[in-house]
Amino acid sequence: MAKILIVDDSRTSRKVLRGILEEGGHEIVDEAANGQEGVQKFQACKPDIVTMDITMPVLDGMEALKMIKALKPDMKVVMVTAAGQKNKMIDCIKLGANEFLTKPFDKEEIISVINKLS
Amino acid sequence: MFDQIFGNYLVQAGKLSQEKLDAVIEYESSVRVKLGTIAVAEKLMTDKQAEEVNQLQAVMDKRFGDIAVEKGYLTDDQVGQLLKKQGNAYMIFVQTLIDQEIMTMEDIEKSLKEYQDTQGFTDSDMSDLVSGDIERIVKLFLPANTDLHDRLCGIAIRTLIRLVNSGAYVSKAFLVDQIVADNFALQAMQGDHSLISGFAGCADSLLAIANPFAGEEFDAVDFDALDAVGEFTNCINGLFASELSKEGVDIDMLPPEFYDHPVTISGNQFCVFPITIGYNVINFILSIDSELKIA
Repeated sequence: MAKILIVDDSRTSRKVLRGILEEGGHEIVDEAANGQEGVQKFQACKPDIVTMDITMPVLDGMEALKMIKALKPDMKVVMVTAAGQKNKMIDCIKLGANEFLTKPFDKEEIISVINKLS
Repeated sequence: MFDQIFGNYLVQAGKLSQEKLDAVIEYESSVRVKLGTIAVAEKLMTDKQAEEVNQLQAVMDKRFGDIAVEKGYLTDDQVGQLLKKQGNAYMIFVQTLIDQEIMTMEDIEKSLKEYQDTQGFTDSDMSDLVSGDIERIVKLFLPANTDLHDRLCGIAIRTLIRLVNSGAYVSKAFLVDQIVADNFALQAMQGDHSLISGFAGCADSLLAIANPFAGEEFDAVDFDALDAVGEFTNCINGLFASELSKEGVDIDMLPPEFYDHPVTISGNQFCVFPITIGYNVINFILSIDSELKIA
């Protein structure tokens, strides 16, 4: 079981992701609605894994990834992308992203990716 | 889709009651099962394979049969056989009207000709409509505008049919400088092209997207419901960006924006593509390389 922080500006996505991860036996320690909030909550709740949406207001997922990796280089961050964001995926790999999940969510893929990192 | 479009025309022309149309469509849905279901029943695919193809359809703008062939689960011949078994929706619709003695074949043919004349469709267009091929049908309802409009509107309706409601159908799209809506969820994209796309609704019509997509029962089109519509728009735009990236065209999505109050959407000849889901008409709004103002 992993302690997970979900960072996504969409309430719908956060809810779906929470449901799947909890069903998979993981604990959601907190949620954040943008990258800035995500970095703050990451420091406060000390998760094992962060799921990070790429496209968000205030501070996007790539910037938040950069900040989290600067604070804790071995932190496991799973980037959440929509189809069609291949270029950004490459940039995220360069910034140290550990895995990727694509929207709309596939339950089996999510559990498999998170279990692999747990 | 043409079963719904023609059925709606018959209702508007006073040749069929709404209740009878609903009953015929319901009967048609009960006899026309999904391709994956037939493939599993015929033991050509396993449940797991069919589910995998269904999941892939959410992130690939492709038909069930095409993905199943790509994955090596079915051959082209098997897909052809399955499609034959599934039957053409419009043909089943017509057969049901006749079998249930709601209309005669002669009445239907006469009404079909009237529909063709009213809409200005050619004989070739009518073949496309009757074919059941969504891509061919949708093209007939788009304004002769640009290839990008055609492609994004096409992806929007195909994704809506796959992920939200298989009974959705379209009306003729049009170009306007201004339109009003009670609520609006949109997403801008930037890069080699600047685009804005989204769904504008009247009253609670956007719930027809929000509820099935989020798997919730929202009571009103509030920010949570609009968030679900925004996420759905994000899926559509992602598929579109993915398609363009294969051609070396780079566009990226910005965070969705929501308006939970009446707005006036203004621009320069932007595209409005009406989509009907159940009794709800929702406008898919699309502006390419031209600004939209929302007030």
